[in-house]
Amino acid sequence: MSPRPYVEVTDLKKTFDVSKPWLNRVLEGAPRQYLRAVDGVSFDIRKGETFALVGESGSGKSTVARMVVGLLNPTGGEVTIDGISMTDPEQRAQRAKLRRKMQMIFQDPYASLNPRWRVDRIIAEPIRAFNVVEGEANIVARVGELLTLVGLHPDDGKKFPHEFSGGQRQRVAIARSLASNADFIVCDEPTSALDVSVQAQILNLMRDLQEKFGLTYLFISHNLAVVRHMATRIGVMYLGRLVEVSDAKEMFTHPRHPYTRMLLDAVPDLAMSGRARIPVAGEIPNPITPPTGCTFHPRCPLANERCKAENPLPINGVACHAVVEGRTLAHPVAA
Amino acid sequence: MSEPVISVRNLQVEFVTRRATLRAIDGVSFDIHKGEVLGVVGESGAGKSVTGAAIIGLIEPPGRISGGEILLNGRRIDNLSPEEMRKVRGRKVAMIFQDPLTSLNPLFRVGEQLVETIRTHLPMNERQARDRAVELLTEVGIPAPEKRIDGYPHEFSGGMRQRVVIALALCAEPDFIVADEPTTALDVSVQAQIISLIKKLGRERGMAVMLVTHDMGVIAETADRVAVMYAGRLAEIGPVRDVVQRPMHPYAKGLMGAIPTLEASTERLVQIPGSMPRLSSIPRGCAFNPRCADVFARCHVDQPLPLPVQGRQVACHLYENERLKTSEVAR
Repeated sequence: MSPRPYVEVTDLKKTFDVSKPWLNRVLEGAPRQYLRAVDGVSFDIRKGETFALVGESGSGKSTVARMVVGLLNPTGGEVTIDGISMTDPEQRAQRAKLRRKMQMIFQDPYASLNPRWRVDRIIAEPIRAFNVVEGEANIVARVGELLTLVGLHPDDGKKFPHEFSGGQRQRVAIARSLASNADFIVCDEPTSALDVSVQAQILNLMRDLQEKFGLTYLFISHNLAVVRHMATRIGVMYLGRLVEVSDAKEMFTHPRHPYTRMLLDAVPDLAMSGRARIPVAGEIPNPITPPTGCTFHPRCPLANERCKAENPLPINGVACHAVVEGRTLAHPVAA
Repeated sequence: MSEPVISVRNLQVEFVTRRATLRAIDGVSFDIHKGEVLGVVGESGAGKSVTGAAIIGLIEPPGRISGGEILLNGRRIDNLSPEEMRKVRGRKVAMIFQDPLTSLNPLFRVGEQLVETIRTHLPMNERQARDRAVELLTEVGIPAPEKRIDGYPHEFSGGMRQRVVIALALCAEPDFIVADEPTTALDVSVQAQIISLIKKLGRERGMAVMLVTHDMGVIAETADRVAVMYAGRLAEIGPVRDVVQRPMHPYAKGLMGAIPTLEASTERLVQIPGSMPRLSSIPRGCAFNPRCADVFARCHVDQPLPLPVQGRQVACHLYENERLKTSEVAR
């Protein structure tokens, strides 16, 4: 296998224009306003691993996911999957082949399945679109196989989405994502809408399928405990920037960035171990007018003048002046 | 022990539909004492929110309380007329809802909503009520409350809005608060702040709090006791440490094992097969029997009632036998 990572994301940027309408701008003299949803994000994903992006709402994790699969055009930067650029217009022909290799699972299994289609038609759609299997009988057989794979019955294909529970619907969505023999699956909060016992079923299923087919996952979640269970490596996002990228184990035993620590400390402690924690302060600021320098500085216990002025660049996977300078808090790291 | 603030006795709530009468709550009993936080957990459709709504008298037709009683400070409140209940609600019992955006009126300033609520329940003039509103906003941790009181709900962030909703609930210094999924719409870092606020207020003011949530972590952080609900029935109720760390009911066990935690990254999560039954098809006997690994003949016939086992109450036939055995040995 090539040593090159399967997915490479380089300096990815997305800016949304959130200006008032033209007439208001002319009459009120209001300036154009831009929201930097994603601001220079770089990471790579190796084949067969689960790379997780975590962060609070508005941190830009879903925007990154959408740009990676090509649902949104980046304002700047590049995404390369299996050596093929997703942004370079020269490589359009190669990209078409890549399409079937990547699929997406969305958060809301109620909104992501067409309510007027029977489940077998939903799952067969990618098969027909990419001509994966020829012949009607073979397609039916393949759909049955996929349904069995995700723990449903082949006869369930005759039902409509509303006849299923949330967890079963998410199984259908997973079956659909596997239909085109995809090997890279972007999962945007796949279990956030589910109850815990059902969430456990879906997470276990996703891990089984990964093992079976060597799938590569980009896993988006706000739930650190879920991420801990799923991820090989983790990227933490804050206000459109990637503040830390680490191996999953490393991240939970030795969080480096102050924001990562804060996030870990904020997770309710089920074991009731009574570990020491820094109380969380403040909320995520308005992304239209982000703070200067390091965007985390107003909430950071380690912030100094440099943090207010200068945006830290990632060094060894951490974007923080305090970490580089060796400024630390006397704080017992969450074990 | 002192008299509980809220005492729910064998509560039953039914929803009458064209096809059948669905029993959403079936024989739920618990007490909440002064300064105590009772966490109520369960999956969607377990009846947690309906229990909260029943206590606070917000069950609307076609739903109705069909049995049992609810006592507030020893006085029955489930059979009050709507007019009488309205005086109790807000004054003695209050509620915090999940979505802070829908529980505030977007057309009125935050201060107006607070002042209105205060003056409805307490004999105060406009000036006094406004001072009290500022006090409440300070207490729930809103910075610069004198300025923020004139803001509209949309000018507040999600966490700040939830603080306003909490201030609204506190207006008349109620004895009992139902918090229905108060942190579900919030980010983790904000959630942690709101949890500690609710906990602090409960303790300082000696309020009884019923915290409804599906998030076991929130319960572990906040509650003194926890009730696990399944299909409208209590599966297990007891001190939070016991139930979270050593659950006894098979459903509670499965639920705890299904939650991924930060501490241990286990290879596989415990998986309860199937999903919660619909209200229209709750199985005979124990409602959990089709999903239970330890099921035996009796589970299909008899509905287990919550019985005391090891300092808590568990509704499971497994422990009934165990109890008999241990009492025989004792004899």
